Amino acid sequence: MPNIKLDGREIPFMNGDTIIRAAHRAGIDVPHYCWHPGLSVAANCRMCLVEILPPPGQRAMRLDVLQWNGKEYVSTQKPKLQPACQIGCTDGMEVLSDSSPHVADARKTVQELLLLNHPVDCPICDQAGECRLQDYWLEHGRYKKRMHDDIVHKPKAVSFGPTIVYDAERCIVCTRCVRFVEEVAKDPVLEKRERGNLGEIFVAEGRQLDNNYTLMTEHVCPVGALTSKDFRFKARVWFLRSARTVCQGCATGCNAHLDFDPRNQRAYRHRPRDNEEINKYWMCDHGMLSYARAHEGRITEARVAGVATTVADALAEAKRRLTNPGTLAIVLSAEHASEDNFALVTLAKTYLGAGDFFLAGRAPGEADGVLMSADRNPNTAGAVQVASTTPPKPLADLVAGVSAGRYTHVLALGSEAALDGPAIAALSRAKGFVAISAHEGPIAKAAHVVLPACSWAEMDGTYVNAQDTPQRSQRAIHPQGDSRPGWEWVAVIAKELGFATPMRKLAELRRAMAAEPSASLPPKSIPAPPAE
Amino acid sequence: MGNGIIGKPIPRPSRDAKVQAYLPSVVAGIGVTVKHFFKNTKELAFGQRNDPVLEAFDDGVTTISYPEQKRPYPERFRGVHRLTLREDGNPRCVACLCCSTACPAQCIHIVAGEYADADKKGWEKYPVSFVIDELRCIFCGYCVEACPCDAIRMDTGQHAVPYDSRDQFIYERETLMSFSDPSGRQLTENPKDDPARGHTPDRLKH
Repeated sequence: MPNIKLDGREIPFMNGDTIIRAAHRAGIDVPHYCWHPGLSVAANCRMCLVEILPPPGQRAMRLDVLQWNGKEYVSTQKPKLQPACQIGCTDGMEVLSDSSPHVADARKTVQELLLLNHPVDCPICDQAGECRLQDYWLEHGRYKKRMHDDIVHKPKAVSFGPTIVYDAERCIVCTRCVRFVEEVAKDPVLEKRERGNLGEIFVAEGRQLDNNYTLMTEHVCPVGALTSKDFRFKARVWFLRSARTVCQGCATGCNAHLDFDPRNQRAYRHRPRDNEEINKYWMCDHGMLSYARAHEGRITEARVAGVATTVADALAEAKRRLTNPGTLAIVLSAEHASEDNFALVTLAKTYLGAGDFFLAGRAPGEADGVLMSADRNPNTAGAVQVASTTPPKPLADLVAGVSAGRYTHVLALGSEAALDGPAIAALSRAKGFVAISAHEGPIAKAAHVVLPACSWAEMDGTYVNAQDTPQRSQRAIHPQGDSRPGWEWVAVIAKELGFATPMRKLAELRRAMAAEPSASLPPKSIPAPPAE
Repeated sequence: MGNGIIGKPIPRPSRDAKVQAYLPSVVAGIGVTVKHFFKNTKELAFGQRNDPVLEAFDDGVTTISYPEQKRPYPERFRGVHRLTLREDGNPRCVACLCCSTACPAQCIHIVAGEYADADKKGWEKYPVSFVIDELRCIFCGYCVEACPCDAIRMDTGQHAVPYDSRDQFIYERETLMSFSDPSGRQLTENPKDDPARGHTPDRLKH
């Protein structure tokens, strides 16, 4: 593999790589605003300027400059710096980034230019704490403001659409958002107008920024110019911690960061987690806003006949209902992790002798051709996988079966299902219907006994996406109320019914899953976050 | 563990007759009390008694009639917090949460909100709720240091008031906004440092 030398360090590059991309791949950050690994190159922020040494035997490109030596301007020369985001790598190229005093000077000057008319309203800016202007000022700026004039005032808090607010004073016009809506969202509604310090972004006449990828414009914005209405003023980012989760919005299984406040145990937002194979750098609005399911409609207490009760009472009732079942139907959930489904399948097949599986999940929607799948469940493939030799049937068959008296008892996992009122009523006419549900929904409504399961935010789990890639999702917040992970409830029910199952710990369960070759593909380890 | 404890030798007081016989000291102590008794009685009788608050710093009378009389606090005494106001009566606070970030006792709880468009007047963010738990507060003054807007101050000159129930120590936004500095001023002393609006600080003017 050919190499370039960056600050004396050998870095391999692939054909067609620019300097900044090769450095990014090697985990080295060349300071930048407008460059984004998933977008085209604009080279307009000038922050990534580097010094490229001439090839051996050739003269360096130098510029005549006047330099202030404290008393007077003296004529001197300095090397011509070039943007690392635009210059392609050639074998043996020598690049100076952090080690060049000229580059350090250029970064400081670019920083001063970008901040010249900045309102410095960090106290009310949601980006504060994760803002590149702040980071790079500390790393490369640290000058005293020299401009004595009032700054150029531009529109503030402009609504760009249902999800995004724009602040032109904070904008450095890097055009990341413009390129994003054009290149990734394929909906070019943003454009730049005016020049120099009057430059600003605007929405096309008669349009709003209202496609399914509006929140990504906020995410790619390196400064606080675009902010999300959903997250606006809700939290300061330095209070938040991130868990590496998998988005629950659809079967694509986008890698996400779930940002939560550990002090009040609330989730505040989803951010995409870079994964070249699944979601690259992006997530859709539907997925980014789905973090709210961590709190919305959660079932946090056990219920018997729709009435909240203690866990002990609910378990006693579940035991009564499930002892000596006539014909037992098992409902797996495409919303729950493979661990939950696997525990339920193990209990059913090994201990209860049940062999009829059904699959519950959210009704399909429309695929958007970019990221979002038509299947709106995160783990359909995983639930089908763990059922292996007995593939689950659609839930309509269960409704028909219960109505016809073929199934007298139901043990169900999950919350959402495509069931209407009559179907729910039909299901609740079963002799015993025990459900393990995280959210309010048709299943919890139909069940006689509901045990509160953890949502994805409260447990470690494996989700298999539409490409059959198993991915692990980390726990963010603590279980809410009496809720416990679904597989724990399965183990508790098994114990109540008098079976000793080897499912006491998550590691035990995962070992059992790994031993069942049809039930599990080896989960890919969570990729380390790139050095962004 | 080796060396054991190495102590610093302290010279013992001499045990001469004056120290051993405690009576001289008792007499001297009673003497001080009697001296003050006669001095106070004389000053009261002749109307010579001055402001006991100021006098407290002199030799002589060391007792003041608290709470009717109070010692003057130093100018930089850190008292109960107040939220400074803008001219229009809104709090200057922009709910940046810098104070609650800096607070080592974690006694400040703020919920931020956005002004409705009609009320904006150049400001976007304000505290919907601003609560200080004065029981948790250690009066270190970091919140005042951290505030970029001079919105929180501890110049009320009041110390933490004793209450008879805990919830009375939870100061809400309106309570904090109702306090003033000892001269009765509720606005800030530094109107120029308001980063929320494009005001050029004097130091940057030509």
